[in-house]
Amino acid sequence: GTVERITGPRTVSAFKEKGVLSISEFVVAGDNLVSKCPTWSWESGEPSKRKSYLPVEKQYLITRNVPCLRRAASVEEEYEAAGGEILLDNEDNDGWLATHGKPKETKCDDEENFPSMETLEISKNKTIQSIPSYFGGEEEEDIPDMAEYEEPDNLIETDAATLQSSYLVVHEPDDDNILRTRTYDVSITYDKYYQTPRVWLTGYDEVGHRNYALWLISSRMLLQPELVLEDVSQDHAHKTVTIEDHPHLPGKHASVHPCRHGAVMKKIIDVLMSRGVEPEVDKYLFLFLKFVASVIPTIEYDYTMDFDLGSSSN
Amino acid sequence: MAVNENRPVLQFAPFQSAVDEGFWQKLSSLKLDTLGIDQSPISITGFYAPCSHAQVSNHLTLLAESLPSDPSEQLSSPVLSRGNRNRCPVPGILYNTNTLESFHAIDKQSLLKAESKKIWEDIRSGKAEEDSALLSRFLLISFADLKKWSFHYWFAFPALVLDPPATLVDLRPASQWFSVEEAESLSAACNEWRNSSSTADVPFFLVSIASNSRATIRHLRDWEVCQGDGQKVRPKSLFAFFEKFILFLFGLYDPCHLPNNPGWPLRNFLALICSRWNIEKVRFLCYRENRGFADLGLSLVGEALISVPQGRAAENGVCLGWRDPQFVPNAVGWELNRGKKVSRCITLAQSMDPTRLATTAA
Repeated sequence: GTVERITGPRTVSAFKEKGVLSISEFVVAGDNLVSKCPTWSWESGEPSKRKSYLPVEKQYLITRNVPCLRRAASVEEEYEAAGGEILLDNEDNDGWLATHGKPKETKCDDEENFPSMETLEISKNKTIQSIPSYFGGEEEEDIPDMAEYEEPDNLIETDAATLQSSYLVVHEPDDDNILRTRTYDVSITYDKYYQTPRVWLTGYDEVGHRNYALWLISSRMLLQPELVLEDVSQDHAHKTVTIEDHPHLPGKHASVHPCRHGAVMKKIIDVLMSRGVEPEVDKYLFLFLKFVASVIPTIEYDYTMDFDLGSSSN
Repeated sequence: MAVNENRPVLQFAPFQSAVDEGFWQKLSSLKLDTLGIDQSPISITGFYAPCSHAQVSNHLTLLAESLPSDPSEQLSSPVLSRGNRNRCPVPGILYNTNTLESFHAIDKQSLLKAESKKIWEDIRSGKAEEDSALLSRFLLISFADLKKWSFHYWFAFPALVLDPPATLVDLRPASQWFSVEEAESLSAACNEWRNSSSTADVPFFLVSIASNSRATIRHLRDWEVCQGDGQKVRPKSLFAFFEKFILFLFGLYDPCHLPNNPGWPLRNFLALICSRWNIEKVRFLCYRENRGFADLGLSLVGEALISVPQGRAAENGVCLGWRDPQFVPNAVGWELNRGKKVSRCITLAQSMDPTRLATTAA
């Protein structure tokens, strides 16, 4: 069955030594994620893009329609305004997990263990507002004015049982956060080169940002990948998050580049072991997603971890 | 039974569509490689799941897998793509036109009528009780402009209209409806239903809670089984069936997150309940989740009154009722675009146009 079909370069686990995963360990960790956090599923994706070294029905993991209620940039502004300490993790020996405002060692090419990356600098622009124009697209360009094609009233009958937008205004609390909701499909693939999982983001726009009454029953349109960077911690938006082809899905998607995943995971594992916790490899993705949450702090995907990470030697 | 004027009309939050880029890419290649100028309708599969977050509704999603590999084969024997708990398959039909003009010229009313008639027939024949996803059948019209890599499209989620509309007696979070024991048992039963691969993608079901607070979830088809079995033994089976249980609810996966409105799929379920089972007071459970587990705080329990449409003067003056085999209820369901009756358009030139791809890659 499954085991025979999986052939990878790594047969001995380097999970604790290097923070990396073998292919079969990725499948084991993915199975555990799906069982503990059922909003995640395995999928097989595009038949033409299937990897022979992964089981057909377990090519990658995905959780869809994940809300992102605020832009990461605005969260960081508030955090900086409060003069604050980091909210996400206290592992301050690593820039990716430590303060957002003052990264200490985020430059990927310092790391000797890993090949250098060519594609990291996607934009030299400092402000996220300029990114859409960098790619020559206006946010609203997708939707041409269709007013001349608006249907006569008789197409959609007045139906007393259909909730109209005006009712939504009345029923919804006056909460500005709703205005800014985007949703994401978050997927995790296996990167054979770096031997780690890799996270991909597909965003859907908050179409009605001008009129939130309409938004609530309005369209969910694909978000240009570049706009995804607004939901990425600004330390990473221009360095570690890149726009690339998804290995299993069509189109360009934003992705956290995996070049330092192994090193970061190794540090997390070391910290755990120094506390007497022996991490188990099937918990890898929970640790990994916790770390990814520092890169995309406002995308509320599920990585609930209310159980032991591993066996404690204490 | 006359509609109480003081009771509010039960209002349903419209279904929302979401189309993955993969769907348009696959449609493009189907059009180029297989379909050509053939405009025959294509069977497609949409996916949805119960709402899983307090702030966002779930959508009817189209993915690359929503399209058949060989459309001609699939139309004759539609096979739904395999689902899982996060993507319950729903049958749909796609009318893709060759020009923008023919897209706008489509007779949307007739198409909606045709699809709602299928739903009605599946209710009447009992097919919808065997395969409850048939209740949420949907319709998509599109024009794929392969020169500009843009896609004009419009969804319809046909809903049979109850006339007069159902009125609301009570609607509350499910957690306020049940005792602690009942809620625990119901959550456990729902989670079990959602975790079993044979039931995870079955979006409509029957819930009964016995006097010992124990909740049981059954398939819709078991309604007939319960009734039929009982009738052989004792004549007052239906009465006995209800007596046996303190609570009986019609459950559905609710994609909607709003605290005061059930989602769209309840509409055709109510039509089934009142036309097949002659129930006028319907207690329903809008099942919703948080982080993939039953959340009775988000889920709703409601009680609605349906006045079974006995007769209705048709245009020609003949009185038709829901019992009349010729009768087909009216339907609504074309999706609005920002509140307007317009189609949608998405341009994927950035990811599909080879010249643009070459520029961004440079």
